[in-house]
Amino acid sequence: MQLSKKQTATQSQKLMVFVLTMALYGLATLFTELIPSFQAGIVEFSVEYFLFIPLSLAMLFDPLSAALGAATGELVFSEIMLGQFGGLGELEKFLTVTIGVYIAGRMVQNPKNRKMVGIAAITGTGLQLLMGTVVDILKVQFAVEDFEAVAGLPESVYATEGFAFLNDFLFSGILFCLLPTLFLVPKLYGKIEPLLGMRPRDEKTCLGKISAKVVIGCIAAFAVALGAELLATSGTPLIEWEAAWAESRTALAVGLVVAAAIAVAAIAALKVRAGKMQAVEQ
Amino acid sequence: MKKKLSENILDKFSIDFLRNQVLKNAYGNDDTVIARLDPRILLAWYLFFGLTPWFVSDLWFLSACFLLVLVTTVLARVAGLVLLLFAVGVFTQTGYLLIVSLFFGGDASTIIPLLILTLKVATCSLASVTVFSGLDPDRLSNGLMWYGCPERLSFSISYAYRILPMLMEEFQNILLSFRMRGNAPAHDTFFGKIRYLFYQVKIVMHAFYPLMLNTAKRSRTTVEALEIKGYRYAAVNKTVKKMKLASLRVTYNDWLFLSVSFLLVAVAILLSTLF
Repeated sequence: MQLSKKQTATQSQKLMVFVLTMALYGLATLFTELIPSFQAGIVEFSVEYFLFIPLSLAMLFDPLSAALGAATGELVFSEIMLGQFGGLGELEKFLTVTIGVYIAGRMVQNPKNRKMVGIAAITGTGLQLLMGTVVDILKVQFAVEDFEAVAGLPESVYATEGFAFLNDFLFSGILFCLLPTLFLVPKLYGKIEPLLGMRPRDEKTCLGKISAKVVIGCIAAFAVALGAELLATSGTPLIEWEAAWAESRTALAVGLVVAAAIAVAAIAALKVRAGKMQAVEQ
Repeated sequence: MKKKLSENILDKFSIDFLRNQVLKNAYGNDDTVIARLDPRILLAWYLFFGLTPWFVSDLWFLSACFLLVLVTTVLARVAGLVLLLFAVGVFTQTGYLLIVSLFFGGDASTIIPLLILTLKVATCSLASVTVFSGLDPDRLSNGLMWYGCPERLSFSISYAYRILPMLMEEFQNILLSFRMRGNAPAHDTFFGKIRYLFYQVKIVMHAFYPLMLNTAKRSRTTVEALEIKGYRYAAVNKTVKKMKLASLRVTYNDWLFLSVSFLLVAVAILLSTLF
């Protein structure tokens, strides 16, 4: 009830925020996808993270629209446009980006408060990175059979993932998320809102503090993300199913031959038909 | 020699080059065999080749799937940059892991599971390259809409392809104007180079400030134009959706494509039982 009373943006303004964040963050992720990273020793310097764009927009506008826009932008520009769409696994990235940006956006009540903006920016980034790391470790554990049995693999996965997290958090997180957000939010505050026909956010128009509902919602969304990623990666049920089936080899072979024969017959029939159709047309 | 080489690479990697590659990927190849297939069929095909490899660890099956998607990728005439990104992506996902696990005392036995993992990753990403860069964006978004994806997503895809060239150009102009007015630090010494790098990064960050304001204006115009046409009501209206999707047609070519894929997979399974 209170939320509807406190509504800060109309539907079309929310759509504007969505479009704005999508276009900007999409462009930025496209760059990160294309710019090669370079390694200095063991520290990887990549312009990995343009998360400051959705972060600052989420602090200024409706956080949910900005978060969804950012995730959609990344999906469309850098995954679908470049043909790197990973299917169900993309859901994980989509949801973690949404959660990170949304939480950061909800944390800030007054964008003029620099300290809070900084804390929110680093929290959002850290949250997103941490969720990604957890999912990545579990993913490799499920994808490779006999994970523990492969020599040296578990340690190497923990080491690489843990190191990547620290590297991303300290390098990209501070340099590309914290500092630009601290620079942009106060500068944009009061200037960008009128362009969308809105009033700048202050204590009165903000959505209120993070409640238990938000936290529970985020945990649920993360669980969905984890489930989707593991479902996309793990193959346990089907592998077992196949193994059980392979016991009766003759049945399997017969089934396959029939299937292949049907396919061949279908092709032949279609070809003949298509030829006839063309002949009629001519 | 070294300087020349790096200059050459940098020349190639300008924003113009990126824009051209992305545009070519989106609109440059709508006359290929893959692009003429029905998007719904292709998406269903993708669903199979994007998911099943994860569930199967049979080497015959995986190789057959990989070969098939390799052929379709060649047929779709995907832009070179995308293929390069694919190669880099596969390496960073598994090749890197191999090196590190060798470092931690793994041996040749580590290679086989990682090879299977690589095949899985490669098959899935090539299948997605085929479908998502082989298809026209409009056809792709129509196909997604037919499967009941939210209207927002198909709108985003169409919008993204149209707005991207403009955004890139604008970003480049802002960068150029920064460069014209700015005073870049000298970069002959090592520290100068580091300072130069930080200067560049700072400029890219700063460039987003005017870009954000401009894009805000533009997105307001876009949304208002959409509202005039009644977009938010049309998005949920069934009749409008039906009219939009009326252009989709499944032809014999689509069935042929599906059955050839099926035949190949069947043969692969047969081979894996025989050997």
